[in-house]
Amino acid sequence: MTAPALVRREATRGAAHVAPRHGWRQDLIGWSFALPFVILFGVFLALPILAAFLFSFTSFGLRDITNPIGASVVGVDNYAKLLSDAKFWKSLGNTVYFVVVGVPLTLALGLVIANALSRGITRFRTAFRVGYYLPVITSIVAIAVVWRFLLNPDFGLINLLLAKIGVNGPNWLANPALAMPSIIAMAVWRNVGFAMVVFVAGMQAIPSMLYEAASIDGAGRWQSFRYVTLPMLRPTILFMLVITTIGYLQLFEEPFVMTNGGPLDATLSVTMYMYQQGFQFFHQGYASAIAYVLFVIVAIVAFLQFRFLRSET
Amino acid sequence: MILTTLRSPLLAIALVVALVAAACGTNNGSGNAGGASGAPASAGGSQAAGSEPAGSGAASPAANLSGDLTVWAMGNEGTKLTTLADAFMKANPGVKVSVTPVDWGQAVAKLTTAIAGNTTPDVSQMGTDMMGQFGATGAFDPVPADIDASTFFQSAWNTNQVGGVASGVPWYVETRLLYYRTDIATKAGITSPPATWDDLMAMAKAMKEKGGAKWGISLGTKNWQEYFPFLWQNGGDVVDASGNPALNSPQAVEALTFYDSFFKAGLTPKSVPEGFDITPAFVKGDNPMFFSGPWHLGLIDTAGGADFKDKWAIAPMPKKVTATSFLGGSNMVVYKNSKNKDAAWAFVKFVSDPTTQALWYKTVTDLPAVQAAWDDPTVKGDANVALFGAQLKDTKAQPVSATWSELSSAINDTLEKMTTGGMEPQAAADQMQKDAMSIGVK
Repeated sequence: MTAPALVRREATRGAAHVAPRHGWRQDLIGWSFALPFVILFGVFLALPILAAFLFSFTSFGLRDITNPIGASVVGVDNYAKLLSDAKFWKSLGNTVYFVVVGVPLTLALGLVIANALSRGITRFRTAFRVGYYLPVITSIVAIAVVWRFLLNPDFGLINLLLAKIGVNGPNWLANPALAMPSIIAMAVWRNVGFAMVVFVAGMQAIPSMLYEAASIDGAGRWQSFRYVTLPMLRPTILFMLVITTIGYLQLFEEPFVMTNGGPLDATLSVTMYMYQQGFQFFHQGYASAIAYVLFVIVAIVAFLQFRFLRSET
Repeated sequence: MILTTLRSPLLAIALVVALVAAACGTNNGSGNAGGASGAPASAGGSQAAGSEPAGSGAASPAANLSGDLTVWAMGNEGTKLTTLADAFMKANPGVKVSVTPVDWGQAVAKLTTAIAGNTTPDVSQMGTDMMGQFGATGAFDPVPADIDASTFFQSAWNTNQVGGVASGVPWYVETRLLYYRTDIATKAGITSPPATWDDLMAMAKAMKEKGGAKWGISLGTKNWQEYFPFLWQNGGDVVDASGNPALNSPQAVEALTFYDSFFKAGLTPKSVPEGFDITPAFVKGDNPMFFSGPWHLGLIDTAGGADFKDKWAIAPMPKKVTATSFLGGSNMVVYKNSKNKDAAWAFVKFVSDPTTQALWYKTVTDLPAVQAAWDDPTVKGDANVALFGAQLKDTKAQPVSATWSELSSAINDTLEKMTTGGMEPQAAADQMQKDAMSIGVK
């Protein structure tokens, strides 16, 4: 045994000797640093989450707000009612539509742009990156107002351009068949910047020697993307897939600001329906049940994504 | 949505109970949290006449009042209420009134939080369509017996009946009339406003076909406040004499059929852009008729300018069985938790005094809920306002119900299915009745 190791062991033993007092003091310091977070987390997150779980088994509503403990317990009635609630199923269908179309679009576009900016375009690269990322950090309300102008049937830019090529543009947000695609277009445009940034970071971590080796083997641009970039990016793509799916399943701001769930409930998402039930109609018990159903769906989807995509590597 | 992306899904759950668990208001967005069903729009006028002190004799000469008084008021009323508060304090030097303006969009969340956390003000404004919802929490103090119901418009007084108990005092009212373009009507060969339903339909057709307007009229695709007047005019009502829903009565089906016929005939747009504003469309002549409240008098004057003045007019509701219109507005309520109820009720009596009501009309052009205030020359002087005054005698309001926001939202959904989705009026009436039965109207 060498001397330094011995010394270290002695030191450790020494420390162990005074551990109770020293550790207690360190614990105290540690806790006092952690305390603000623990308190905030407990009061504003853990407690409401627990309370919501309990409320989801009650008929908690406006009459009970002065005395929440007095809310009557209804067992699983709220969950049973959800099963036969056509509006809930409609909102779930809308949300799934948004996720199934929106997530692949966001990821594919993000990947294409990231690849172009990493390996193709070299001039004004920063300007492009900033341009794509700007919508991500812009307030959703400002974006929604601008998009409402863009999509306006009478003087919106989109319909003006369509008119130039002889197409009579529709009333995008007031047409039940077009409202959700319009929302998806806006959401994709807004979120593609974030996907791009993450993919660019992921691509920068790919060793350039892999591309050199590939090009020596005669790989073209497409082949090096297909056989080098994509496999090396797999963990990043999985991460983005899970994160984006979770985010999109909670679709709220876009329809809330743009369409208020209409027309004919075509853009009513689960979260919006939960908000209506909880804060407009004051069925907090029912709204809590909706929230927990959504939570379970999110958990299952995330679990499946990890399960299937990870095992392929 | 990056923020949404990064937060835990549980946060969504937290959101639901945040209102209950945390005593601070979760002001979720600026949307129509509570105003969805059109929280009574405030008079848009900016006719702030020099705040001449109220007839100080108005205040009840009650015993020497003292202490602090907190009053919440919404929207335009909230920012101008200090005028009345100052007048009140002049008459009652011992009382200090502090006015808190509340945004309409956040009113429901703020009031709910206040009631849940026992932090209510002493007095607050309460939209007539919110009475049932908040009355159900038991937060309101019953109106003392010395406030005389007969001084108010009957339908305004009815909006304060929470479970048979008078729980608020009418403060200001609004009702809806027909706004129409006289120049386009003349061009279409029509010289007098529509007296009957048939006249209204004929006029809408003429406005479009002969008058050259893009549309004949503008009716809401999903607005119960526009549908109910037709229901009432046809002798129907939301509830029958025994208080049960009557939304699929033959009168209701007929009213819905009439309402829908404007959409079927292409006389009113089936869809308008989000945030559509009728005022410029009316001034431009696209929509030469619409139903609205007194706030549009000022809006049209501002948008149309001086040479537009003789191109439009307002008219009473067309008659079927009756010529009933919708009544909205706000009441004043005193909270049970108030520590200074004597002063609180004195303040409510003060604002519902005819003299104060006339002063309030001069301040924000809110229509007085007290009938005697209409004798004031300023209120009587404006011919258009006088028409609103005449219509107020034939008005009805929605039932006072704890679940009104939910039922009205369901009715709007069904209206939209009928006007834009092709649902038949009979089916729409049955759907409304079914919703009213399951959601409740009490």
